Amino acid sequence: MNDVSSPKRPHIDVDHEARRFRINRENYKSQEIFEREKELIFSRCWLYLGHASELPKKGDYVTRIVGGRQLIFAHGRSGELKAFFNSCTHRGATVCRERKGNKKSFTCCYHGWVFSNEGKLLSMNTDHGFPDDINADGNLNLRVVPRLEEYRGFYFVNYNPTAISLYDFLAGARDCIDAICDQSDSEMVILPGEHTYTIKANYKYLIENSSDGYHLLPVHATYFDYLNDRFKGTKDEGAVDKLVKGYYKMGQVRCLGNGHTILESMVPTGRPVASWIEPWGLEVKEEIDAIRDRLENKFGKERMEYISETQKNLIIFPNLVINDIQSITVRYIEPESHNFMRVTGWALGPAEESAKLKAIRLDNFVSFLGPAGFGSPDDIEMLEICQKGVEGSPIEWTELSKGMSESEDLLTRTGGPDDEVQFQAFWAQWDRVMRNLDKLEA
Amino acid sequence: MSKKTISAQEAEQFLYLEAELLDDWRLPEWAELYSDDASYEVACPNADDPKTDSPATSLFLVSDRKDRIIGRAVRLMKKTAHAEYPHSKTRHLVTNVRLLESSADVAKVKANFCVYRTKEDNTVMYMGEFNYTLVRQDGELKVRLKRAILDLNSLYEQGRLTIIL
Repeated sequence: MNDVSSPKRPHIDVDHEARRFRINRENYKSQEIFEREKELIFSRCWLYLGHASELPKKGDYVTRIVGGRQLIFAHGRSGELKAFFNSCTHRGATVCRERKGNKKSFTCCYHGWVFSNEGKLLSMNTDHGFPDDINADGNLNLRVVPRLEEYRGFYFVNYNPTAISLYDFLAGARDCIDAICDQSDSEMVILPGEHTYTIKANYKYLIENSSDGYHLLPVHATYFDYLNDRFKGTKDEGAVDKLVKGYYKMGQVRCLGNGHTILESMVPTGRPVASWIEPWGLEVKEEIDAIRDRLENKFGKERMEYISETQKNLIIFPNLVINDIQSITVRYIEPESHNFMRVTGWALGPAEESAKLKAIRLDNFVSFLGPAGFGSPDDIEMLEICQKGVEGSPIEWTELSKGMSESEDLLTRTGGPDDEVQFQAFWAQWDRVMRNLDKLEA
Repeated sequence: MSKKTISAQEAEQFLYLEAELLDDWRLPEWAELYSDDASYEVACPNADDPKTDSPATSLFLVSDRKDRIIGRAVRLMKKTAHAEYPHSKTRHLVTNVRLLESSADVAKVKANFCVYRTKEDNTVMYMGEFNYTLVRQDGELKVRLKRAILDLNSLYEQGRLTIIL
């Protein structure tokens, strides 16, 4: 490998004095840089694998692609959740070809090797030819992913055995995850169904877009038209105009350390927890008021309002988005090349939510989010035309200076909701990891 | 008012009309084909049971009631619906139309579909099965329910679903 700490050209160009922050466009369009990202970012950072609620029973499993590796996330017979590489230790075939299910064991269909749902090799489908003690040290068991840790039900893997803990990695993002999970009095769960789709663009464009307050009004005008129509003749009539005029004054962006960021804003979409809008009807207002009361009793008024009313676009470096907006989406981004990504989006909600509020949550989700909503597809179009534009242009730098400060630490500062300081934090961390200045090791 | 049972041919011609309006991007007229209590739904490609799952308990790709059916038509006619500007070229093929149940006022209809969508130089396909409930209101057929069940496991090849199936 080349000396990555001194790339041919700098990845980013930071000039505090001039308040400029620029990204070298090679970072979006170079396959060579993507190959280095696989080695330095996706082999060292904590990557989202799945949620505990997806595997409620012993034997439940899902298969996932995470950081380019084929994984099985399984609820083993001992009751523990485990992550294995989905590859037979004999010839390498994937031992599980289903996306999800419940199994006591995984059988490789090539030569019939059988592994327990804890990964232990149970049978080699033969009684002769191999040494008796061939698996005495367990080397032929399914290979366990070096690190698997969880925070509030969100399970992450790390391919670096000596990585810092997930807890330390998440840094300031933990408090934001708490605010999202504390919506529930019991636990948060992934609701049935998932959106899996692809975008012909560099994955970092989606990370940027997922917490970009600046793009909201130009890109999502048709969504706000739709909301405006919904609010006609209700108490919320005029709320969209107010948003258009005052968006940049309400809320903020906070950089949470280690490249994680959150956009906190006020958008009048209604939130199942716990901001009522009139089109939902009076019958759910009572329920939402009761949730607000419960949250206020438990956490105090200020935290209740933060949990209930503030829209949160949370980015977990390098490739997870948890957006608690008109609904909650957990969005995992799997880059496949420098200009192509696979995206999976799930809906998250409180386990104890009533049928009516859950229906509203899911309806709010598809009104905007996902590959057929009124919002996300227009975002996707933006990312694809960015990719097309940078690949066909000699311009070397992308300008991301909005909100740039003269002195503050890029990884932990704050800015306005339509600033670009969250991208500055992401890219500053990305540059540190890519240049080996931060190995994310204990 | 007609007391005649909704016939297979009538249902078929109605589905073809809908397909034509969509391919011609006459979306406001398309929305008028739907009754006031209508739903237009596209189940997630990998849903556990896309035929019987409910959008009230499972995530769908599309779950529109009449206000959002109109909203979708209105949105997609705007230049600011960036994902569909310029409009894709589409071709809806609707085949194997089967009348499952029928009376003078209500019919349940199944059909197979393949929709080709071309955006710039790329063409993708959406294929699967439609489940319709059609109703006769004031002498005219309307859609009360249209659910599309895709023969896909994801939108990996298609990327997104911004046209109406």
